[in-house]
Amino acid sequence: MNGWVGRCLRVNLTEGKHSIEELVPESREKFLGGRGLGVKVYADEVPPQTDPLSPDNKLIFSSGPLVGTGAVTGASCNVVTKSSLSGTIACAKMRGHFGAEMKYAGFDMIIVEGKAESPVILSIMDDKIRLVSALEYWGRSTSETEDRFKASLGDQWTARETFLATIGPAGERLLPIANIVNDRFLSVGGAGIGAVMGSKNLKAVAVKGQHSLEVSDGNRFVQVVNTMINKLNSSPLTSQSMTQWGTAFLVGLCYPKKILPNNNFLQASVSLKNLGTDALESAFALRSRGCFACPVACIKKTEMKHHIYEGKGMVPTYLAIGSLGLNCGISDLSTIGTASMLCAEAGLDPVAAGGTLATAMELVEKKVTTKDELKIDLQFGNDNSLLEALQLISTKKGHAKRMGQGAKALAESFERPDLFMGVKGMSMAPFDPRAIQGMGLHFATCNYGPHHLYGYTFIDELLGVNENLDPLTTEGKPALVKLYQDTTAVMDSLGLCNWPLMGLKFKNFVPLINSCLGTNYTADDLLSIGERVWNAERLFNVKAGIDGSHDKLPARFTEEPISCGNGEGQVSMVNEMLPEYYSLRGWSGQGVPLAETLKTLELEDS
Amino acid sequence: MPRIKVDHAKCTGCRHCEIACSLNHVANTANPRRARIRIMKDENRYYPVLSGPFVDAACTSKQLIEIGGHKYDMCAFCRASCPEKPYFIEAETGIPLKCDFCGIPPAPSCVRWCNTGALELVED
Ligand code: SF4
Ligand code: SF4
Repeated sequence: MNGWVGRCLRVNLTEGKHSIEELVPESREKFLGGRGLGVKVYADEVPPQTDPLSPDNKLIFSSGPLVGTGAVTGASCNVVTKSSLSGTIACAKMRGHFGAEMKYAGFDMIIVEGKAESPVILSIMDDKIRLVSALEYWGRSTSETEDRFKASLGDQWTARETFLATIGPAGERLLPIANIVNDRFLSVGGAGIGAVMGSKNLKAVAVKGQHSLEVSDGNRFVQVVNTMINKLNSSPLTSQSMTQWGTAFLVGLCYPKKILPNNNFLQASVSLKNLGTDALESAFALRSRGCFACPVACIKKTEMKHHIYEGKGMVPTYLAIGSLGLNCGISDLSTIGTASMLCAEAGLDPVAAGGTLATAMELVEKKVTTKDELKIDLQFGNDNSLLEALQLISTKKGHAKRMGQGAKALAESFERPDLFMGVKGMSMAPFDPRAIQGMGLHFATCNYGPHHLYGYTFIDELLGVNENLDPLTTEGKPALVKLYQDTTAVMDSLGLCNWPLMGLKFKNFVPLINSCLGTNYTADDLLSIGERVWNAERLFNVKAGIDGSHDKLPARFTEEPISCGNGEGQVSMVNEMLPEYYSLRGWSGQGVPLAETLKTLELEDS
Repeated sequence: MPRIKVDHAKCTGCRHCEIACSLNHVANTANPRRARIRIMKDENRYYPVLSGPFVDAACTSKQLIEIGGHKYDMCAFCRASCPEKPYFIEAETGIPLKCDFCGIPPAPSCVRWCNTGALELVED
């Protein structure tokens, strides 16, 4: 069926029943699949006011039509639900092999409804769909869950081909900062989804299968893939930087420009160890690992040797180094690596967990609270306390309880909401909006909180891939933000990873998409689908009570200028850029899509 | 004679080679279970295995192989498929598959899509 399997699995955990449905061709045309179709189905089925942790909420795993076909980087599956951290729509990106295997198992989409009476694992293996009791898995770390489940299969050959998406203790305890972890240690990008899975008593989803996927024009498709591999190889960013070091190579570029924040975005002048790629290589022996069908292979694995965490692990990414490292004043890579492993094992989102600890550290620094009250010696730069806190958060012991609720709740509980560095309840990815204006606007407006992977402006503002733009100026940025938000929305809907946009232009993907799906899309057609997806998400948020008044950056970014170094004296001009952005989007001054915009996008406001 | 040299240390486990093979042998079809090359995962490593002949009885000479201090089950890299190891059995037909060294010269399809150098066409 040209990319799609065309089937959706609906599992009702309350009744312990499942059904198999066909995906409606019309909505596939309008929303493609993956994130777009996930959002469409979710918004049609779940009332916006639904409590994220109630059995009425649904959790959707949705792979794009290009996933598993061999399309370059076609690996991504989106997890769509209402986030328990932000209350917005969540469409978290899952990398690795789960998305492709889900399609070989025979489904483009899995919709999970209701709540199981006791913990279960949803196992979809070779057309056998079962709910397996997960009592003996409950409380276990993500890797232990994976190992035990695979061992329970009793056959090493089956085990090797099985992929799992699982929550850790953090998700079980319904912590809003929990996420889902798949394929051993790959955290699904975004908080607020792990608790939803936990609230359904769903410990994991396991997939394996042998269904075939069809592509429309195999010969052409193979040629296009060849060309794309060559193109990726001719760009230094995708053939060297990402391939050698993963996203961590960005650290060396962002730090001197003050884009990489430190100390809860205070941007103090602190002396830090070198965190560049040389340091990374001397701290870890890197081993590349690829998501399905990815020639770039930016995931780096290693053997960790820290007294708290030893064994197989992941080399920290840009996100981890920023959120769990510098933003907590920590620059020791071995500590940061350990911290990110603690997150992966407990099923904590590194950005949300790091953001919370950074807030706690600032609360101590500002003497709002003390280490005695917190019962942990949290201070910027204190490696041991960071690791201790991360271990405690998912046990919900003592004061760590407060922290499991996220940075916003923590700051508010001490009556200092101004110390929460995030938007819509989500902690900010480590990009300082004052030093990179377009990203700042994206952070303010992103439907799913301030996450850089939903608006790739840094590829121009920092890396100069398509256009060489100064990160400190605002001119043309609203249009840039809209363009990249729409681009990522359509890439996610197709199931393509966004990182290759560093080496390939969006238009390079068009022949790939058409030869795979048998369509005749132009780049503009596809971008307008992206725009439709973006508006559908916004519409859901507005109905859930999250409108333009939530498109706000913390006052720190608009009022406190960067105090030293590059970008000194800069503040974020987000409020100046917002009106232009809204008007480009066809939204009202309150950030709500106008009726005529919805009509052009063929979205009905029901 | 040209042959495919495998350097497992370079393999990232992306499985693009599996799909290249599947697309090349079954028109317009992507399915790792219809490929004649499969990536075997063992611990933290990936081993690309090109399928050899199908043997209808499991062998008796199983051994542990030592690589870099680790001991591995030989079955994981054995190129043959056998009743004990159901790899390389065509998903839809049940027919055992064998690498036929396909592809337009200079490279078979799996080598062409392998971007890491884990698969390489060599002459010797
Ligand atoms: S040489 Fe051809 S048949 Fe053999 S594994 Fe590679 S792609 Fe498959
Ligand atoms: S394409 Fe190359 S790197 Fe990827 S799995 Fe196959 S052999 Fe390994």
